[in-house]
Amino acid sequence: MEGQTVRRHDPIRFEVVRNALQAAVEESGVALARSAYSTNIKTRLDFSCAIFDKDLKVVVQAFSQPSHLGSLVFAVPSTVGVYGPAELRPGDGILVNDAHMNMSHLNDISLVSPLFYKDRLFGYSANLAHHVDIGGRAPGSIAVTTDIYQEGIILPGVKLVKKGEIDNDIYRLVAANVRGKKEFGGDIRAQVAANKLAQRRIVEIIDKFGVGFVETTIERLYEYTQRRTEAEMAKWPEGVYEAETFLDDDGVTARPIRIPIRLTIKGSHVEFDLTGAEAQRKAPMNSTYAQAYSSVVYSIKALLPSDIPVNHGFYQTVKLIAPKGTVVNCSHPAAVVGGWEVGIKVVEGCFRALAKAMPDRVAAEGKKTILHIAFGGVDPRSNESYVYLETLAGGYGGRPTKDGEDAVQAHHQNTENAPVEEMEIGYPVIIERYELVEDSDGPGEYRGGLGLRRVYRFRDHDATVTFLADTVKIPPHGMLGGMDGRPAEFSVLRNGKNKEILPSKVTFTASSRDSVEIRTPGGGGYGSPLDRDESAVLGDVIQGKISTTRAKDSYGVVIDITTLALDRDATAELRTRMRARGE
Amino acid sequence: MRKRIGVDIGGTFTDAILVDLDTGSTKTAKVPTTPSDPSVGFMNSVLRVLDDGTAQDVIQTVHATTIATNAIIEGNVAKGGFVTTEGFRDILEIQRQIRPKLYDIFFNKPKPLIPRHRAYEVKERVTAEGDVLTPLDEKSARSVALALKKAEVEAVAICLLHSYVNPDHERRLASIISEHCPGVFITVSSEISPQFREYVRASTTVINAVIMPVVFRYLAKLESQLSTRKVAGELYVMQSSGGLMTSAVAKEKPAYLIESGPAAGAIAASYIGKMLGEHNVISFDMGGTTAKASSIERGQPRMARSYEVGPAATPETGLTKGGGYPLKTPVIDLVEIGAGGGSIAWIDSGGALKVGPRSAGASPGPACYMTGGTEPTITDANLVLGRIDPSYFLGGEMKLNPEAASNAIKEKCATPLGYTIVESAMGIVDIANASMLRALSLVSVERGYDPREFSLVAFGGAGPMHVNALAKELGIPKVIIPHNPGLTSALGLLVTDVKHEFVQTYVHQTSTIDIDRLNKIYEDFRNNAMKLLSSEGVRDEDVSFVRSLDMRYLGQSYELLVEIPDGEVKPTDIRKIEERFFAIHERTYGHAVRTEPTQVVSVRLVGIGSIPKPRINALPRGNESPIDASKGTRNVYFSEASSYLSAGVFERTSLKWGNVVKGPAVIEDKDATTIVHPGYRVEVEKYGYLVMTPSH
Repeated sequence: MEGQTVRRHDPIRFEVVRNALQAAVEESGVALARSAYSTNIKTRLDFSCAIFDKDLKVVVQAFSQPSHLGSLVFAVPSTVGVYGPAELRPGDGILVNDAHMNMSHLNDISLVSPLFYKDRLFGYSANLAHHVDIGGRAPGSIAVTTDIYQEGIILPGVKLVKKGEIDNDIYRLVAANVRGKKEFGGDIRAQVAANKLAQRRIVEIIDKFGVGFVETTIERLYEYTQRRTEAEMAKWPEGVYEAETFLDDDGVTARPIRIPIRLTIKGSHVEFDLTGAEAQRKAPMNSTYAQAYSSVVYSIKALLPSDIPVNHGFYQTVKLIAPKGTVVNCSHPAAVVGGWEVGIKVVEGCFRALAKAMPDRVAAEGKKTILHIAFGGVDPRSNESYVYLETLAGGYGGRPTKDGEDAVQAHHQNTENAPVEEMEIGYPVIIERYELVEDSDGPGEYRGGLGLRRVYRFRDHDATVTFLADTVKIPPHGMLGGMDGRPAEFSVLRNGKNKEILPSKVTFTASSRDSVEIRTPGGGGYGSPLDRDESAVLGDVIQGKISTTRAKDSYGVVIDITTLALDRDATAELRTRMRARGE
Repeated sequence: MRKRIGVDIGGTFTDAILVDLDTGSTKTAKVPTTPSDPSVGFMNSVLRVLDDGTAQDVIQTVHATTIATNAIIEGNVAKGGFVTTEGFRDILEIQRQIRPKLYDIFFNKPKPLIPRHRAYEVKERVTAEGDVLTPLDEKSARSVALALKKAEVEAVAICLLHSYVNPDHERRLASIISEHCPGVFITVSSEISPQFREYVRASTTVINAVIMPVVFRYLAKLESQLSTRKVAGELYVMQSSGGLMTSAVAKEKPAYLIESGPAAGAIAASYIGKMLGEHNVISFDMGGTTAKASSIERGQPRMARSYEVGPAATPETGLTKGGGYPLKTPVIDLVEIGAGGGSIAWIDSGGALKVGPRSAGASPGPACYMTGGTEPTITDANLVLGRIDPSYFLGGEMKLNPEAASNAIKEKCATPLGYTIVESAMGIVDIANASMLRALSLVSVERGYDPREFSLVAFGGAGPMHVNALAKELGIPKVIIPHNPGLTSALGLLVTDVKHEFVQTYVHQTSTIDIDRLNKIYEDFRNNAMKLLSSEGVRDEDVSFVRSLDMRYLGQSYELLVEIPDGEVKPTDIRKIEERFFAIHERTYGHAVRTEPTQVVSVRLVGIGSIPKPRINALPRGNESPIDASKGTRNVYFSEASSYLSAGVFERTSLKWGNVVKGPAVIEDKDATTIVHPGYRVEVEKYGYLVMTPSH
């Protein structure tokens, strides 16, 4: 009878407890975002929060950057392992950023705290925040590095917080190694506050529902998630699908990096095998297993109904094979700061493999670079050193039913831009232009989105500028007859006259007489541009997104340059000729 | 014989309430909303509350309208042109460069309200400090003006970089454009929203511009129809902030009335709270499709300073944004969730029971309406549980079919889950309550307030039915239920004041702020507020001010609003202002460092013009026994008892001041039913409010 009562009320209380747990983790995320200092966390929302059970399985997560899908899942078990659960006390907080402890790059600092209920270990809360600077060779801690020691201070998992108080000795040691101390301190305090809030909420939930019921609910949640995910995967076409993806170069040598992807869909199981990925480089373009895993999981999550939660049950459904010592699972002491660039290429590679299985559910290639720019120097207005970091959007790939959006972040990256006015108030820089790049689309029946152009000029001082990006040589590819998008371009206009084209991975100095210009890639097209609705081409021309020349040469659509009138007959004739030529 | 009329246009009904300020007597009307031309429903409702010869006694007609928000959602906005600084034509295209949905390959960025080919650049540039880097090139300004004329735009939005600190170029540009394009509606960013962050300011400017012709024509039509019908007095409009403005001002600042409709409910709740001496109140308004919650602290609804509008707007509460058009104007901070009487219960592919956000609405309606709906809704569940009298819905105007409700629940929930119909119905109510609890917790706990220190004011057609369970769960000690819960929002229109907010970005470290400049900004705001309020007929002695600063730690990029007392700011006040900021930071985020430097970001002043409020008359005095209002008993299911209990049923309008109704009980009003759980009691207060508390 007792058992029956529990069963009878289960689905309803299950839903209530699940919502309460999700609310707890989201609330700690909101607290972190709101009270942090750096724009990275507050505006760009580059952080993640999660709650784990006592067996180190992830229960609930909250983040705005899907690149964090796999970031805490591996990091938290490694971090707890440094001390062992028996050595953890209420109010502890372990600070960690060592990429080679199942994390991603040093800028991502995590704080892991045990969650106690009445002196009994219930689980863990963890949050991760992308700090704007963690030391290393150049402002923003991004640079063309060859091992991890050049990338900043390494935190191997140390108890920064004891009994709820920050250990000032450790704090000072770390703070001494970073540029932009005010932001660092504010962000760390926000991370501590977020974990404290999670602890409070968990106690409230257990007080209300009882520890047994909450633990049962968590187990049920894993089962529910796995069941639903597998039910979806079972609908996918079985088979083995192969694809490959490339980085232009590694930043130290000009050699491209190849990563093959072998996707197996069998029954309700999905496996990605990256065996054959090149050996790790003495260069920044190496990813950890956790980063590669986030990428793979993102591609799967994007094909599932959005309301399936992400927890331990979900992670059971996706298998990744990535051999140790390669660019997708690098070993100590590999440099990792460019690992996100490897990660976004892996996402595109997974989508290429998935496209072979389900072409109507996947977009053509998008900007396929995270595209970091960082700069720093001494602000002439205050004589204080500053550091600034941002990432720029590009074109999204054309999609089976619609165009790729212009100037938007792609895939597991979704960081917001900082307003130009806010940047100019806070930093000695003028943004001279911020606009779409005309004709950067990958032509297609559904065209790729346009990339964007951003031009920086530094005010009354020399700034140290770093780019860490890719996709200047190998463009975003179109699919099913769609054409490639225009690749990225990095340059500096010296003294208003000499334009120097720069590599995508470089640190250099810009004076107040120089303009630094970045053009981000356009997305690839989907389907043949000759099948594009001619009025859509006309619309793009009217809007100034593509030129009449491009309309004619790439889409076979004839539009008068002065009247902007569409010539239907000439278009039909031109398209017939182009088709005959096999374009 | 002074009378005021409030008219609230909702999705289904247009409500009007007329109050005689001298006698306190009221008259109400509910007529169908007329979506194709809302002014028809507006006039129908007004004429219903007017008696012969009373039209000339009206001193004000106050209106809550969804005309602006509907224009944006449906895309029926004016043809606009956008003018900005050279190099920034694509502010509206690039937006925040993010996707509003993380895992959806088929996501959409909101399509700009002004397309790219009508976005123009002028050569000019001002720095963050307000210095002119490149003077305004008048030649390029004139060619833009000619292009706008040629494009035959109806409205123009001007937003130049850093105009909040130096508006000279924007003003000059506006005058050049109005010279070349007479009759065109022009909105200038430094006037509508002089605050930094260009995309949000540009978006606010554009929204104002493209809805201005729409709102102008709508309000002009109402004015002319009121005048044709000889209805005296001025037309006022409710702003998103809960303050009123005259229709003349509304025609200039339509961006301020986007959330006009929902604001009225929160205002009513704060007024009701004040009448009963409750200054910390949570407003809970549950209708047919959604439930809205907001918190009222020290008598003031909590405000937000920016939000999103549009068909795919992302709510403020989550960790994603970018689905709608951002708007930086003050708005009552509401959480709205898809749980109303019409919300549909369903089972997801993992076998979990879910409620909403899909709603059966008024059509096809809940299964029990017998108007074509076949899916089980919250109303069907409430009917099965005995909480609704099938023959007294809407005062008996509509008969409900309990069998249809049972069948829908059986087929769509009970059978697949393997539960009884009653268990499933209770499950539907419990799950809906869980999401409403989430909304109530979002406006209280997550804003740093403890709900146990608040009273709950519940209204809307479905609010009084669910509120007892919610209050119990949250530990809220007192619930207040007004009469005619379905008309509470319309009442809100008659109990607020004329309000205008002035804001100016002024970024400076607090400790070294230029106090003379700060005082000068406040002085200018005051003068402008007095001028504006006096143009709206407010007497000088009825004007008051609320002043505040948007502050943050130096280096942060979110601000908190810190209220400061009236009067000249003195150097000794600065530390006190910082102390206040620390306290608010502590309460909001759980920590504050008192040694870190802070920064002022924006300066604000709200000018308030007080207007006469309706008198509310007391009920006749009765004793404790509500026997005169008794309608017998019926069986109502309560989850805490896991069974049906015999509950007393009472007629709301027959209750007297001092009557006490003990749970389990049902109190039926014409437009809403109140459920009293076992262990709770309801006392009828002097003015007829039901006050629900635990019985012990």
